[in-house]
Amino acid sequence: MKQLCTTILLCLMVVAGAYAQRTISGTVTDQSGEALIGATVAVKNTSVGAVTDVDGRYTIQVAKSDAILMFSYTGYATQEIAVGAGSVVDVTLVENANVMDEVVVIGYGKQIRSTLTGNIAKVNNENIKGMPVVSVEQAMQGQAAGVNIETVNGKVGAAARVRVRGVGSINAGTEPLFVVDGIPLSKDSRNTYGAGLNPLADINFNDIESIEVLKDASAKAIYGSRGSNGVVLITTKSGKSGKSQIELDLQYGFSQPTRKREFLNAAEFVELFTEAANNSDDIDGYAYDDPDSWTTFVQGRFFRYSGRNDDWMSKIDKTNWQDEAFQDASLYNANLSFSGGSDKMRYYFSANHGLNEGILVANHLTKDGARLNLDFSATDKLKMGVNLSVSRTNTRTVSDDNAFSTPMQLVALAPITPKRDEKGELYDRPVTTYYNGLIDVEDATRKVFSNRTLVNVYGDYSFTQSLALRVEGAANLYNVRDEARFGVRTDAGNASNGFGESVFAGATDYNTNAVLRWNKAFDKNDLGFDLGTEYFESTNNRTAVFGEQFPTDELKTLASAAIITGGTSTEEQYSFLSYFGRARYNFDRKYLLNASARVDGSSRFGDNKRYAFFPAFSAGWVLSEEAVLQDNPTISFLKLRASWGQSGNADIGNFRALGLYAPGSYNGQSNYLPEQIANPDLTWEKSTEVDFGLDWGLFDNRINGEIDYYIKNTNDLLQQVPIPATTGYKTQWRNIGELENRGWEFTVNSNNLVGEFKWTTSLNLALNKNKVVALADGQDIIDDGGTRYANVVKVGEPIGVFYGAEYAGVDPANGDAIWYTNATDGSDPRATTNDFSEANYVVLGSPLPDLIGGISNSFSWKGVSLDIRFQGQYGNEIHRSGDVFMSCNACWFDNQTRDQLDRWQNPGDVTNVPEARLGYSNGDIGRSSRYISDGSYLRLKNITLAYDVPTKWMRGVRSLRVYATATNLLTFTKYEGWDPEVTTDFLAGNTVYGIDFYSAPQPKTIIGGIRIGF
Amino acid sequence: MKKLQYILLSGLLLMAGACDKKLDIEPLQSVSETVALDSDANVKLVLQGAYDNLSKDGMYGGNLFRDAELLGSDGEVRWVGTFSDPRDIFNHEMDAGNTDVENTWSIAYQTINSCNNVLSALDIVNADDRDRVEGEAKFIRGVCYFELTRLFGKPYVAGGSNSQLGVPVITTATRGVTEASYVSRNTVNEGYEQALSDLLRAAAILPEDNGVLASKYAAMGMAARMYLSMGKLQEARDMATAVIGSTQYSLLPNYEDLWNQDDDTDEALFSIQVSPQDGVNELVTFFSIPEFGGRDGDIEIQNSHLALYDPADTRLALFYDGNGAMRTGKWKNQYKNIPIIRLAEMHLIAAECDARLNGNGALQLNPVRERAGLAPLNQAFVEDVIQERRRELAFEGHKIHDIKRLGGTIDGISFDAPEFVFPIPAREIEVNKNLQQNEGY
Repeated sequence: MKQLCTTILLCLMVVAGAYAQRTISGTVTDQSGEALIGATVAVKNTSVGAVTDVDGRYTIQVAKSDAILMFSYTGYATQEIAVGAGSVVDVTLVENANVMDEVVVIGYGKQIRSTLTGNIAKVNNENIKGMPVVSVEQAMQGQAAGVNIETVNGKVGAAARVRVRGVGSINAGTEPLFVVDGIPLSKDSRNTYGAGLNPLADINFNDIESIEVLKDASAKAIYGSRGSNGVVLITTKSGKSGKSQIELDLQYGFSQPTRKREFLNAAEFVELFTEAANNSDDIDGYAYDDPDSWTTFVQGRFFRYSGRNDDWMSKIDKTNWQDEAFQDASLYNANLSFSGGSDKMRYYFSANHGLNEGILVANHLTKDGARLNLDFSATDKLKMGVNLSVSRTNTRTVSDDNAFSTPMQLVALAPITPKRDEKGELYDRPVTTYYNGLIDVEDATRKVFSNRTLVNVYGDYSFTQSLALRVEGAANLYNVRDEARFGVRTDAGNASNGFGESVFAGATDYNTNAVLRWNKAFDKNDLGFDLGTEYFESTNNRTAVFGEQFPTDELKTLASAAIITGGTSTEEQYSFLSYFGRARYNFDRKYLLNASARVDGSSRFGDNKRYAFFPAFSAGWVLSEEAVLQDNPTISFLKLRASWGQSGNADIGNFRALGLYAPGSYNGQSNYLPEQIANPDLTWEKSTEVDFGLDWGLFDNRINGEIDYYIKNTNDLLQQVPIPATTGYKTQWRNIGELENRGWEFTVNSNNLVGEFKWTTSLNLALNKNKVVALADGQDIIDDGGTRYANVVKVGEPIGVFYGAEYAGVDPANGDAIWYTNATDGSDPRATTNDFSEANYVVLGSPLPDLIGGISNSFSWKGVSLDIRFQGQYGNEIHRSGDVFMSCNACWFDNQTRDQLDRWQNPGDVTNVPEARLGYSNGDIGRSSRYISDGSYLRLKNITLAYDVPTKWMRGVRSLRVYATATNLLTFTKYEGWDPEVTTDFLAGNTVYGIDFYSAPQPKTIIGGIRIGF
Repeated sequence: MKKLQYILLSGLLLMAGACDKKLDIEPLQSVSETVALDSDANVKLVLQGAYDNLSKDGMYGGNLFRDAELLGSDGEVRWVGTFSDPRDIFNHEMDAGNTDVENTWSIAYQTINSCNNVLSALDIVNADDRDRVEGEAKFIRGVCYFELTRLFGKPYVAGGSNSQLGVPVITTATRGVTEASYVSRNTVNEGYEQALSDLLRAAAILPEDNGVLASKYAAMGMAARMYLSMGKLQEARDMATAVIGSTQYSLLPNYEDLWNQDDDTDEALFSIQVSPQDGVNELVTFFSIPEFGGRDGDIEIQNSHLALYDPADTRLALFYDGNGAMRTGKWKNQYKNIPIIRLAEMHLIAAECDARLNGNGALQLNPVRERAGLAPLNQAFVEDVIQERRRELAFEGHKIHDIKRLGGTIDGISFDAPEFVFPIPAREIEVNKNLQQNEGY
């Protein structure tokens, strides 16, 4: 090796000594004549280079008259120009349509797209920059094929669920591994109060250079036991040598709900509930004026709900409670960045500040952050760098969906109820039907403060041209503090003179890895090996204290609590130790081969099964490099790919293999409670995946795309298998069962029009079919047996499928809700019954979409640009779980949706809404198709109109863009609820999909912005 | 340069080698099964855990009482809450998916498993404490089998063979899931036999005074309750009068002082301990209103119950008007103890047995009446005692069981109708094919 180094050094010296210097200068511009700042100019086959300045000018020394200059700039085709005799070389670079030469980030490395043998979706900075959303997942929604992203509801900072190629597990994690600059970040919400917040909300996506989603086994197997659900690699920006560039982006806008629902007004409320009471009296044989009758009871309630008076008789609307749940929300964001550097040192610095008000009352979030990315070339051989970011997110949360205090549950209150009493105080029970959540707005504080420091330090040393070592160390210091304080009037503080809780949750993750790279090109062969090791350790702790009996609501901290009712601290650790390797070979960029393997060990499993091995192989054949196709005028690129590999899922929580007793407390004394039954054989979930792909480009790659077909089989599913509760335990963790996802993915990118008027289109579509192949021996279904929700896991069906009674509408003769018996005993399955228990359960639909996709069109002309992006999904159903209360034909006092006015009233009425019967169950059982709706939608996710103001006459201003952006502006759907992009936030689990339970609709946001570059 | 290479490469190797041990991470919040049963002190902690389980919401933390009152309401209370599971119990329209029913089943068996674990490790308990530990575990296990059998099985028929299905009777600790874990239901008779033998053993070996934990008299009191429910009047009376005669306990002068207490009163034989630190009082959750830590006043007391009281009855004063309806004052503070069995019940058991055996229960009944501000009776017939029970023990989880024992009706439906028997939980039927579902589910 030393010999090799010496040889190279000698060569360099020889080259240097031979210089007979001559200066060349010139300007680099784009097609429109704009100067390109920071373009690289290099003398071919030498180490001599220069960078263009703010006017696009460069000067460079060349040694020989036959020297060739190479001009390159990101996004533009590299040009080579022979110097010749002159001293001025001006160049116009042409935008690069050849996506095949794009550099793609892969696991522990980079690769040129045309030589990829795996499937990787890439989202670039320009596709997400400036989006008026909170988190990076929201920004990339609908932009990567086969990546299903859903914000669970419209609360600000709400968790976002990401599924790559379908749902990959029943009980273990289903989120892809998010890796930001080399450090894996957990997506678990860490806040205690209110709905779970998205921990990635603090990542400033304007800093992101690119997001690569590793989808097939050959791309992700290098992440071994953590790769099964896909890997999302986030790379932040690094500086480019050249003059400093400063960019300031300011935006301001408004949000409102995508949709509201219609509820009964006062007159309708009184009418429907009086009718419901009369009907119940008819059943029970009461005269309506009997003091014990339902009608008398209802009138008593009306009296109460009016504020203990007879105002209800005048049927005047007192409060529109739905409107009270929402607020006029505004938002602003400011983003500032500096970047630049010399050829020795490059920097990127950014700072951001923003406020996002949610559409729900008292729900808002502020974000602040700063980032510094530095890269040094310490010597010719040693590069070092550091990426450092600090960020803070403060959120004023609201309760989860299943709390009377959550704003959306205000809709249950009666329209005849005034908001405030004569003293101006908010009414509470018994005047309000349920707890008035607005009291929480006035008298409760629920704040979540989260802070994150992410740091990554690397050194990259080239021993020789072929051999290099990269060592990386990274840390993620994340802590979340909840401060909750409930005043005496609030539900939580009512019985205790105020209640307060302070919780500190911290996560400290370290990740170190070292990768040795060897690469050699000879003749037409290109061979590479990577060898690496990685260690990851995570420590999570939580400290909480709660107290009550406060002297006044004004005192917010627990220092003023007379009784400290509890306190706790917990800590958990887990770790991974891994070794991995990869071999790459290609011949003439025509025949491509790739193999990778990883050995992973983790603390999460017992001694016997602690290590596992994850291999992958893939191959590609670039047909367009074959002689037959080489000069084909139409087909410019054609590649066939195939891959096979295995990856794992270890996201199951800690210590699942052990038989455990947990400490409890009774009578002020500690005790042990049996907590978990042991399974010493517990190990990873394994996914085996094959992928066949075709990458194509037509007309000089003006139109290009990918087609993929994949089959992903996940077996040894980590499952909490139900066991007889008579054992004292309800479940045991076992590796059992099999799940399959198979599907197609299509992407098309097209430069429809080039030239002065530009039009580009990009489309992605993904079809995925999820199927539970097997559960435990002899087990056909996992069903909690409840009647409120309908999601189950059933063999042969997609995970989380809705399974319940098939609603047959209303018996026109008597107004009873009826269901199809779906009898299996030979009698007519289409016969109907009004006895729910006689209706056999059948599959009622799937909450998982058959098809997801997005299409964006960009138009630009003379500095004016218009981007229109649609996103949608098709074929999924939604369970309107909250409608069991608000659309139950006046079964109880919750205000009803207006469609309940279509109730059955007289024999012969044909309707789907049964007769209203107060206090009686007439069709209000959740587990029926009555409450299941088509959840398909197509949404105008993003539309941006921008104008790049010419800056030639503005001194010092490099660029100036004025823009307006709207998200979720239009939604096309048949869904009857608030919004079809929904999953309630109070239920957890992989079967919990498509549940709408007082879930806030998504916000519709319109902003205006200005972006100035200096 | 060579040095640098060495440093880098050896650093890499070091990192790889040193890390393997880092995969040995033990939980900090839990202990392993073997540790939990390996010493005197630890076994006693597991026993404390059995009490903890017994005090959970699905058991004496509230639902056993609440559901007995809802199911046997017969118009005396009204469920107006939003939760559909208790509403279905109230309407005797349960289905096998009822999560409250499932919760009671599961927690009862968790409690039983805790007891079985303790009983399996008696030999490592200090000899001096061995009887007490065994007695407490058997008391708790006996109570669980009594409650389970009478909820999930058809009513016990006094003097009958009681071969109707009860619940599985398990007396060994669970160490793993095997064929034997897929149990079948035992008969009601077998369930009662197990419960009674556990309680009698506990009564024989427990100390007379055992703090707030199960004592000899708690076990005897529970056995008296069981004997009464089995129609074994002689035995019931003997047990009850033995407790009364012990002088350990006395009727409080003031009925109101029985309720919402931090410490067990002189009248309480056994109570669930609740404090702001631990324990849960779910009765307050459902019987009370937000002001006292309840939900929205989910259970309203109806006039037909209030009409049972003489206007002079001091127990009537305990009711209060809250959130637009009458409420019981027995469950009014979320952090206070829940009396499970108390001396007044012993008097009522003895009185009823006296009345049935000798025709006059006045002797044992009158202390209860007088405490309530009512005139003593010279002659107390069975019906007088029964009426007194309805008032004295209202909302303490006796309602449905008394109706079943006495052969009454609920909303006009006979006590032995299938809708008054809890369904075997659907999830249990699903995972264990050996379990037979109850009629009507």
